[in-house]
Amino acid sequence: MHGTFRRSHGLQALLLLAAIAAPVVAGPYWVHVGALAWYYALLAASWALLAGYAGQFSFAHVAFAALGGYGSALLTLRLGLPLALSIPLTVILAMVFGALMGALVLRLSGPYLALFTLAIAEIFRLMLVAEENVTRGSLGLEVPGLFPGGSDVPYYYLGLALVVLALLAMNGLLATRVGLFLRAIREDEHAAQASGVNTTLHKIIVFVITAGIAALAGIYYGHFVGILSPNMVILPEMGLVIAMAVIGIESLPGAVAGAVIVYALSEILRDYGEWRFVLLGLALILVQRFAQNGLFPVVERYLDRRVAPHAKSPFEVANVPNVEGDYAKPS
Amino acid sequence: MTYFSLLTVNGLVIGLIYALMAAGLTLVFSVLKVVNFGHGSLYMMGGYASYYAIGLLGVPPIAGVIVAMVALFLFGVVFERLVLAPMYSDKVERKDEYAIIVTFGLTILLTNLGLVVFGPFSKSPPAFLQGTLIAGPLILPYDRLIAAVIAVVILSGLSWFLARTSLGQALDAVSQSRDSAAVIGINPKRMYTIAFGLGSALAGGAGALIAPIFALSPNMGELPGVQAFIIIVLGGMGSVGGSIIGGILLGIVQGLGVGFLPDPNRALAYTQAFGALLLVIVLLLRPTGLFGRAHMRLE
Repeated sequence: MHGTFRRSHGLQALLLLAAIAAPVVAGPYWVHVGALAWYYALLAASWALLAGYAGQFSFAHVAFAALGGYGSALLTLRLGLPLALSIPLTVILAMVFGALMGALVLRLSGPYLALFTLAIAEIFRLMLVAEENVTRGSLGLEVPGLFPGGSDVPYYYLGLALVVLALLAMNGLLATRVGLFLRAIREDEHAAQASGVNTTLHKIIVFVITAGIAALAGIYYGHFVGILSPNMVILPEMGLVIAMAVIGIESLPGAVAGAVIVYALSEILRDYGEWRFVLLGLALILVQRFAQNGLFPVVERYLDRRVAPHAKSPFEVANVPNVEGDYAKPS
Repeated sequence: MTYFSLLTVNGLVIGLIYALMAAGLTLVFSVLKVVNFGHGSLYMMGGYASYYAIGLLGVPPIAGVIVAMVALFLFGVVFERLVLAPMYSDKVERKDEYAIIVTFGLTILLTNLGLVVFGPFSKSPPAFLQGTLIAGPLILPYDRLIAAVIAVVILSGLSWFLARTSLGQALDAVSQSRDSAAVIGINPKRMYTIAFGLGSALAGGAGALIAPIFALSPNMGELPGVQAFIIIVLGGMGSVGGSIIGGILLGIVQGLGVGFLPDPNRALAYTQAFGALLLVIVLLLRPTGLFGRAHMRLE
């Protein structure tokens, strides 16, 4: 158990170093891809907290990203606020909406929650389309960049920093009692309530935090890409985020890795056009069908099995069954 | 006046197609307790199945609807057996999430497969019947009239099937209580398969009926898919009759909405948003829906 813990931390540090070093080796195209992947990584990781840990399967996550992107852009463009003011204001606004959403869906769960959030996202998207005078509708809203010069490298590091900060913040939260309560709510809301967990408060907390992170992701995306359109909120975008989180799930860094892998794969397979999304849909179904805890535990278990026969030291041999036990269903 | 009666009739026709889709979605929900997020893509597949049956096999347009329904029934049965079946065992821990993800994955899979195989350009199958019915102020292309008539026939057949045949009653029994149904000798797993097949067939039939009216495109299912969610919540989750009424109402309201609002871009967006808003309000205030049945209460 301890071994896995240390290994996964070592692996994460290694991946972080690789992510920091990547722009030195990679060309500008891949830096651009990487910077976009951070947007999805932020969304996938925060959605994994919302849906994976707290069990609130929301389809409105991309709507919060769009709220962030449009909010910050409109405050800057229409009201002339400086970015230093418009960004925190937008994040706070998104958190307020997150609290509102959390309060509204208290009684809803499972498919009802999914339908409710889907409808909210759809209403928001249609408003973005319809109110052309403000949002420029389907034409897209142009957003000024954050950094002078045309390089994507500063955005890449900004995105990476946001991902690392968001992960640290969310993992910090999960390490406290709140994290335990959230999982308790997911497993059995009534039992959690009966054990004295304030389910109302904690559900709202998780919506507030994830809405804030999604909004931040949207703000980053808007300034990086330079144009926002209501297509940020279409269902396939949400599908992409869900696929990223589900394929990696089990942990928040897993969702980040899932996002980077899925997004990079979709770029590598660009020549195959829509086939890559056929593959994505198929992967989503197959992963759910055969590996509900995501692909990473399966890979890790496979690696363990490969390592086990060669293990000579008693420590490692003793460790193997323990590692297996880690992934046994908690029920 | 003429304009509005025209909008009402057009809304009614679209509403009937919506009702067909929603009835399928409701059937699946009431029996399997699964909201099929892939329903819209099954509707799209139905449209193309009919298109290719007419184009390649040379069947008459109306028979294309039947081919589409049979093809989608089989597809639904296979999908349920292969992907949804593990849900009823202990293998799947969080059943709601599982169902949402696999059916949503089905949408991604089929929509993009449609783009690759059928191409992104819209296709139009031949009309059921050329020409237009002109009766006084009413102008209705025969296509729409025939689509509406077939939709009514299918919906009546479905209602009769559910109420009067032993298989239909068995489906209803499973929808009310899985365990009690099993006690009196109904195999719930068989009913799940049949319900999912029938639900898919209804979506496929709706797609085949709409195909000559609007053109076919791989993402044609997205909008009606969302409408169908709205209808089943509005009409009461699990009530087939409620979803028929809900579908017709929504079609007419949206048809009229486009006519009443001045700015066409906004009108189109807000009539769609109106449906989504209805869904939100109904879920918050009356989670059993307007025509809901007590045993389908929010759990």
